[in-house]
Amino acid sequence: MVRRTLRGILGRVLFGLAIFLVLAGVLIPYLWMVSGSFKTTLEIQSADVLKPELSPRWFPRKFTWENYLRVNRTVRMLDYFRNSIIISVGTMVFSVGISLFAAYALSRFAFSWKRTYTLAVLSTQMFPGISFLIPYFMMFVLIKHYLGLPMQNTYWGMIFTYTSFALPFSILMLRNFLDSIPREIDEQAQIDGCTPTGALFRVILPLAKPGIAAVGIYSFIMAWNEVLFATVLTGRETKTVALGLLEYITAQQARWAGMMAACILVSIPVLVLFSLMQRYIIEGLVAGATKG
Amino acid sequence: MSSQARGRRAFRFILPALLCMLFVHVIPIFWGAYIAFIDLDIYTITRWMQAPFVGLRNFFTVFSPTTDVGVRYLRSIWNVVYFGLVTIPAGYLIGLLVALLLNRKFFGRTLVRGLILLPYITPDSVAYNVWRFIFQARIGIVNKYLLALGLIKEPIIWLVGDRAIYAVMIASVWKGWPFACLVLLAGLQSIPQELYEAAKIDGASSFGLFRFVTFPMLRPVSATLLLLSAIWNFHAFNQFYILLGADPGKAHVPSTFILQEAFTNFHFGQGAAMSVFLTVVVLLMTVVILRVRRRGEEW
Repeated sequence: MVRRTLRGILGRVLFGLAIFLVLAGVLIPYLWMVSGSFKTTLEIQSADVLKPELSPRWFPRKFTWENYLRVNRTVRMLDYFRNSIIISVGTMVFSVGISLFAAYALSRFAFSWKRTYTLAVLSTQMFPGISFLIPYFMMFVLIKHYLGLPMQNTYWGMIFTYTSFALPFSILMLRNFLDSIPREIDEQAQIDGCTPTGALFRVILPLAKPGIAAVGIYSFIMAWNEVLFATVLTGRETKTVALGLLEYITAQQARWAGMMAACILVSIPVLVLFSLMQRYIIEGLVAGATKG
Repeated sequence: MSSQARGRRAFRFILPALLCMLFVHVIPIFWGAYIAFIDLDIYTITRWMQAPFVGLRNFFTVFSPTTDVGVRYLRSIWNVVYFGLVTIPAGYLIGLLVALLLNRKFFGRTLVRGLILLPYITPDSVAYNVWRFIFQARIGIVNKYLLALGLIKEPIIWLVGDRAIYAVMIASVWKGWPFACLVLLAGLQSIPQELYEAAKIDGASSFGLFRFVTFPMLRPVSATLLLLSAIWNFHAFNQFYILLGADPGKAHVPSTFILQEAFTNFHFGQGAAMSVFLTVVVLLMTVVILRVRRRGEEW
């Protein structure tokens, strides 16, 4: 009896220790980020792992808010925030609008090329971005050359690009969500005289709000985080926060403290939005990896 | 309604999405295949129709172990394969172990589950910049603790040269395992409890429960997860670009190398040839995954 309780206690201690180790592994980089964001640039620059008195510390020697208050001083971070917000909100709006129609058709209509289309949508998720980047960049150059319409380094160019990136996942996630709404509801609306489009807007839309919010947030976050296409297609006027962060480190100067403060500011919108719709987005992502 | 009319009605609803897919995915894929066969550079880009057709020359150049480009491209392919061979199993194993821990009921489980998701939802640009800070030779904490433990005598330069790829691997595993954990946890929770009870009645030990119930039941989920990770491994870009900069040197992966060749050195034709090869590899892997999935449905 005593032995069994002892084993139980030992088991619990080991279990607690394991959970603690996992959490420590996850959280240490965040603690380092937060701690760095409150240090002075001087403290970080003069740190040296070889000298015990200068070894980097977890607690700032001199606590400062400077890095947050002056986030825009060396890098035009506020401009990049504005660009990212415009591009991400634009992506969110178009992605939701376009995927809602496509998902409704996939969920409610019977048509011969449904399976082919779904497979095509799925397979676009498999190709790496670099497979498209060169010809896509050329397309931007040629549109400007022949049509006089600037695409590179414009908001609409980026919004179009990111909307198309967000669509495959948005369509499939929203289709799964619409599938969970009973068909009888919109069939009844159509018997009562609604067109399919009318039924979509009057009946399905209000019921699909959580799914729509999840798709919108996913699209926003995708546009906020994208790096590869932004390196080629954005310029001075449209640079996004993801690329702006890299400007804190130049060949001349490493402004780690400023970068850590900016990192926290860049993460906040993503973490807030994600936690709002956590359940739906995670269900969608897990389904995407397991069911398709 | 006739099947043609139904097809037309669906087409009207899907048209905007189709147009996006056409311009961003379909046309570029085929156009890229064409560019791979011409000698395109910054001077001919607006007169691309006149750029000379060079047949398979771009492919010979980028796969030749005697040209500079070829050597670096082949190394970048090896790097991404090596990277996947380390990070995918590591992420899977950590994810599985933590999923098994979290599958028990305990106080604060929801909180712990929320916290381990943090690396997964943190933007790549933020996470890898923080890791870049952590790996700094003189001001980073990795060297601080390695020195304190007496494992090294001199601070290691992590982000340049031969060790760079290992630093990227560590940061990527940290960022990637929560997704594996999430998928496996969902898989674990879909295993019927009766199976465990039946196995216990048959006298299975706790290892036996894992070996004969948990493991086989997780097989379909694991197969798709690992195959998808293997495909997505070829997307590897952000971690290399952010941790190591625009020119990772010996630690190039195809995405960073093609970006550099095409947009810094303006070898668009060769860049396209390298991209086409990646596309074909991913296409073949996608066919495999679709086969596996179809078999999974029959189980």
